[in-house]
Amino acid sequence: MTSYIIRRLLLIIPTVFIALSFLFVLFFALPGDPANLIAGGAERNIPQQTLDQINERYGLDNPLYEQFTDYWQRTVQWDLGESYLSRRSVNSILGEKAVASLRLAIWAIIIEIVVGIAVGLLSAIRRYSLSDKLTTIFTALASAIPVFVLGFVMQWLFAVKPNQWDWPEWARLRTSGIGPNSWALFFIPTGEQWRYLILPAIALASVTTALLARMTRGSMLEVLRADYMRTARAKGLRERDVVLRHGLRNAMLPVVTLIGLDFGTAIGAAVLTETTFTWPGLGSQIAQSVSDRDLPVLLGLTLVVVLAYAFVNIVVDVSYAWFDPRIRLGKGEHA
Amino acid sequence: MRRQRRGIKLLALILGLSLVAAACGGDDDDDEGAQQGGGSEDQQDLQQGGELTDLSTFSQGGWDHLDPTLSTTVSESQIGDSIFDTLTEVDYSDIDNPEVRGEVAESWESNDDATEWTFTIRDGLSFSDGTPVLPSSFKRSFERASDPDFAGDYSYLFSFFEGGQDKLDGKADEISGVVADDDAMTLTTTLAEPYANFPAVIGFHTFAPMPESAEGQGVEWEQTADMIGNGPFMLESAPTQQQVVLVPNPEWDGTKYAEELGLPAQPYVEKITFVVSQDQDTAWNSFLAGEGEIGQLTSGRIQEAVDNYATTLNDPVLGIYYFQINQEDPRIGGPDNKLLRQAISQAIDRDEINEAVYEGTRTTATGITPPGIPGFQEGLCDYCAYDPDAAQQAYQEWQDAGNSLDEPIPIQFNADAGHEPVVQIIIDNLDAIGIPATAEPQPSDTYFGQMADGGCVMCRAGWIADYPTYDNFMFDLFSTTALGGNNYGYSNSDFDDLLAEAKRTTDADQAADLFHQAEQILLNDDIGTIPINWYLGQYAYDPDVVANLVQQPSLHIVWETVALANP
Repeated sequence: MTSYIIRRLLLIIPTVFIALSFLFVLFFALPGDPANLIAGGAERNIPQQTLDQINERYGLDNPLYEQFTDYWQRTVQWDLGESYLSRRSVNSILGEKAVASLRLAIWAIIIEIVVGIAVGLLSAIRRYSLSDKLTTIFTALASAIPVFVLGFVMQWLFAVKPNQWDWPEWARLRTSGIGPNSWALFFIPTGEQWRYLILPAIALASVTTALLARMTRGSMLEVLRADYMRTARAKGLRERDVVLRHGLRNAMLPVVTLIGLDFGTAIGAAVLTETTFTWPGLGSQIAQSVSDRDLPVLLGLTLVVVLAYAFVNIVVDVSYAWFDPRIRLGKGEHA
Repeated sequence: MRRQRRGIKLLALILGLSLVAAACGGDDDDDEGAQQGGGSEDQQDLQQGGELTDLSTFSQGGWDHLDPTLSTTVSESQIGDSIFDTLTEVDYSDIDNPEVRGEVAESWESNDDATEWTFTIRDGLSFSDGTPVLPSSFKRSFERASDPDFAGDYSYLFSFFEGGQDKLDGKADEISGVVADDDAMTLTTTLAEPYANFPAVIGFHTFAPMPESAEGQGVEWEQTADMIGNGPFMLESAPTQQQVVLVPNPEWDGTKYAEELGLPAQPYVEKITFVVSQDQDTAWNSFLAGEGEIGQLTSGRIQEAVDNYATTLNDPVLGIYYFQINQEDPRIGGPDNKLLRQAISQAIDRDEINEAVYEGTRTTATGITPPGIPGFQEGLCDYCAYDPDAAQQAYQEWQDAGNSLDEPIPIQFNADAGHEPVVQIIIDNLDAIGIPATAEPQPSDTYFGQMADGGCVMCRAGWIADYPTYDNFMFDLFSTTALGGNNYGYSNSDFDDLLAEAKRTTDADQAADLFHQAEQILLNDDIGTIPINWYLGQYAYDPDVVANLVQQPSLHIVWETVALANP
């Protein structure tokens, strides 16, 4: 197991190198002069003097290989450079944004796991019941509705309408922003914070929760028909134990895989969710950096996202062994 | 041209989207006139107190720079202009005859050829830390802003000064053309070229004075509450990408400035919170949800806003939406194709565009330079009115001269920014008289760069004034040297000569006449560009809650004159 984890960790290095190098080259391969774009050339004509100034400040007129080697020399020392636009250190932007994203992600994951697995499980147990049919409809809807549309609808229903109906202040959720930023134990909202958290957390969780519910349902349906389930019942175990201890645990293997893969979907959803709700996290910053062509910020944040994606998938792979003790990572996985 | 917000960026909206502006024949022209510039009569009834939350200024994203030395977008300069007062300010109380008035400058004078300007600074003005505002405060600011290691995107403005370019190029330690005399309270500026409109230009936020505490400060300064100025407000706390909070500067007294500006002794409200939103629709929802008192109109929601709120849709903005013509393109440019350009311009139904795309809320342009610019004159364009018969005739004459179009004229625009329906109407209009045209949407991120690099044939453009001068529209857009060499190919020596003469003419009426002649050459003799519409205001608010909110043609709100109806 240890050697497996070490090998997987080492694989992160070429993954990160290739991903960021690709992004770096792509930035310069795209049409348009980077200095022009940095100066806002998407919206206006830029004086040549301003372009010269930007080129000189950021070395954008140096040969590409020089910029490339310079970038990696700095990056390996965790010096992510400074934003072309705000001139702030990317490390400091990262520290600020990552915390906000992490808090939102924790709540989205809690919603995803609690709601997704519970709904999928109930749906499988009560197959073809009304609740199963409703679950099918709602999960299909949640998967199909774009996150930003869902976001606007929720803003309308839970913030705009309550204001027009004169609901008490505490009953109105907030449309955007991080609010007072008051938390206990890092992620538990205190005071008014929950009013700002709840809508973006639901929006972020919506797509992956729906997928998780459907996957749990499908996986459970398969497991419920397995021989060992009948054996468990024949042994006289209570139905609850049969379902949770024998059924759910076995059904979790594909579900956990999905959770790992979903991380990529969640990052995409985070870009939209954080932008829609002005949640000051990595997602909205990435969206902004793309639109601004702010390469240092984009590369710095991508680095973190790639690392997080790699680590999550290592954790998922390792968790297989827990869910199914027959799996021995690092020894017979290729057998 | 200032951006309202990148990506967010401002302009994309103003220039691009549909928002905006009420038609001229709005509700009550008299009221409009009274409101401009802060309406001092109304102000007598205004009361101090209360707090405001603005959901408009940063409705399209956060800020990169609040330091006026570095800021580039309109939203950023809203904050900068509230924290810093410059030498001059434009008085828009008579929108037809805006005048430059003294803020920090008590008076100014120039030599005969408008190359040397001396500003006398008012006594008794202070920064919010109590230190005095002196001529050297400006000298300090100019030197800091032109430091090549620090300079922002607008630092090229310092090349207006003699020796400014050398400083920007790192060849000089200071700008030789700026001399401060704190004893005489004068700031003397020598310009590299004559510039009669310089008092209007020097009011731009890049020329704000800086306190001693700004000495040696870099970009970190604006990220703290330490960034102090001499304006009506100061930062209550370090600004964030969530909000910027301003409170009144106790050292400021607006009654010390030119009376015509109608400024109060202190701002009316006790606090303004500028809330950042990354999405304009979300910002509008926030406004509807009662999370703030001031919102920004957004595409598709204008009628809803007009029905339920007060808006600044009657307030003109110094911006023009137009189509640039590449004069070097053999299909449409040059003197041989003038009749074709005339036909195109006369075939376009600008009123239909205004009604169908902008919900009847923009002003149909009759020239390039918009109302609100000193010297503005209505109706300079002979070929901007919809006249399909005349267009048909011009097109026929062009064909009779042996010309023909082998392929449709490409009309380019930045995609996904709301221009598609405008271009479609134009294509339909042209088709009606037999001119084939086709839409060519371009990637937004690279649009202007590609167009300026020669890709333009007939391409959408927009311009918001940096400062309220006629030459900011004529010289900066259409002179032979404009935009780093005028890649759109318009070049007319008579036009250039008239502009050069106008820029050095200190008599305002004579200068305006010269600018009019130049604009008529551009629009009528050469048909060098095709104006479509002028922008208007974009704010919405509940008049029972907010009082005296007026959007200046510069797009700015004079926040110190805004009050709560019932504080």
